[in-house]
Amino acid sequence: MSASNGAAAQTTEESLEARMADKTITLEVFRYDPAAGGDPTFQRYDVPYRSDWVVLDALNWIKDTTDGSLTFRWSCRMGVCGSCGMMVNGLPKLTCSTFLKDYYPDPLRIEPLANFPVQRDLVIEFDGFVEKLKSIKPWLIRNDQRDPADGELRQTPKQLAQYKQYTMCINCMLCYSACPEYAFIPGFIGPAAIALAQRYNLDSRDQGQAERRKLLGVQEAVWECTFVGECSAVCPKHVDPAAAIQQAKVTSTIDWYKRFLMPWGKK
Amino acid sequence: MKQSNEAFWWSLFSAGGVAAALFLPAIVVLTGFVLPFAEGDTATRHEQLRELIGWWPVRVLLMLVISLSFFHCAHRMRHLLMDFGVRSTPLLLAVVFYAGAITGTVATVVVISRL
Amino acid sequence: MRPRPPEPPTRTWFMRTTAYRLFMIREFTSVFLAGYLIFLLVLLARVGEGPQPFESLLVTLRSPISIILHVLVLLAALYHAVTWFNLTPRIMPVRLGEERLPDAVVAIAAGYLPWIVVSLAIGWAVLG
Repeated sequence: MSASNGAAAQTTEESLEARMADKTITLEVFRYDPAAGGDPTFQRYDVPYRSDWVVLDALNWIKDTTDGSLTFRWSCRMGVCGSCGMMVNGLPKLTCSTFLKDYYPDPLRIEPLANFPVQRDLVIEFDGFVEKLKSIKPWLIRNDQRDPADGELRQTPKQLAQYKQYTMCINCMLCYSACPEYAFIPGFIGPAAIALAQRYNLDSRDQGQAERRKLLGVQEAVWECTFVGECSAVCPKHVDPAAAIQQAKVTSTIDWYKRFLMPWGKK
Repeated sequence: MKQSNEAFWWSLFSAGGVAAALFLPAIVVLTGFVLPFAEGDTATRHEQLRELIGWWPVRVLLMLVISLSFFHCAHRMRHLLMDFGVRSTPLLLAVVFYAGAITGTVATVVVISRL
Repeated sequence: MRPRPPEPPTRTWFMRTTAYRLFMIREFTSVFLAGYLIFLLVLLARVGEGPQPFESLLVTLRSPISIILHVLVLLAALYHAVTWFNLTPRIMPVRLGEERLPDAVVAIAAGYLPWIVVSLAIGWAVLG
């Protein structure tokens, strides 16, 4: 490449930068102040448009330059921590992996995750979600009294493959926001919690299947699900919680028939 | 911890879903587009059909497919109404739809055993 | 300062996204199928009554209304079958060692192939 060509390319790039600096994109952001109460409002912000910016970058730009009162959660910026989930144009998204260029030049409407109580602006309350996770006993249950000195519990790659998919969940709660049944029944223990139950039920080192299967057999566990499938569609980690729920329905049904046909069997 | 009996209805729903998916499209094509427009003598065709339906394995299969499909539809329509927001009387909804499916099953057995 | 409770679902929540609409269509196929099952029972009863009622039934089946209804029911039955077979591999995944058999393979082996076999068998039994 000749020197003049290189210079020309640089000029084009510079003018591109300059033109991009003029471009803006509009964010309509959900605002709610618990101290003031009342109905939430939508506030419009014009944000500089960059093709490599994600929604979270735009929100941080607003907070840093325009409106320090805007409140939202975020941490890792790389789709691992699961804390920046919000509704973008009505769909649950991780805002750190949702690019402005996929919406430009249309405005974006940013709301807190649906189906959760709102603490302030884009911050939701997830105490109920954490309780649900805990309720399915998400740890290795052992019937024997093992001591760490006895050595590790070994597992073959094949045994790991049985449940590995369900370990990928980052608790971002997008699946709960996508679930219409959860919207109707807040008591439904929901996609992520049931996927987590399956993660332990399918683990060869775990001996708590019997306990956990009873927890999954109640109405508010697997039976509120109608396999809409949107929990899996929005999952950023391809956990497929919808499949976990259907598989739990199958085992739950087998358990039901066992109880019905052999009521004398061990409870 | 009260275990839900939804498992039982779900098993019928699933079995019916398989039956409906495997059998109904072909049967619909037959009754809607093939039988009414088929060439040949109607009396002979009728005799052939009666012979086919008279064979006991076909009768059993027909009974299973139709009654399980009734349970499949009942379960889905019940949840469909709930998805439309009918949530105040879940027990009544379940009774109405599954009673409908049971009635459908009885009717199926009566009709087919009379053939 | 209590958090603001979530919005309850609206009556038309399922119109919000295409995926929700497709879900409701999938569930709505049951209405068409239930209607058809009742009709199928009437049809079977007619066949049992003798050649004359069967003949008049065929005349009814040739009417435009019958054809339109059959087209609708067929679309519902096909949509039900396709969605059902496509979801099967996720409910009953098949593993070979560490690998999971691709969903498409399971859907074909457990759904589409048996579907073709059953459909051909029905056609052959009635027309062959």
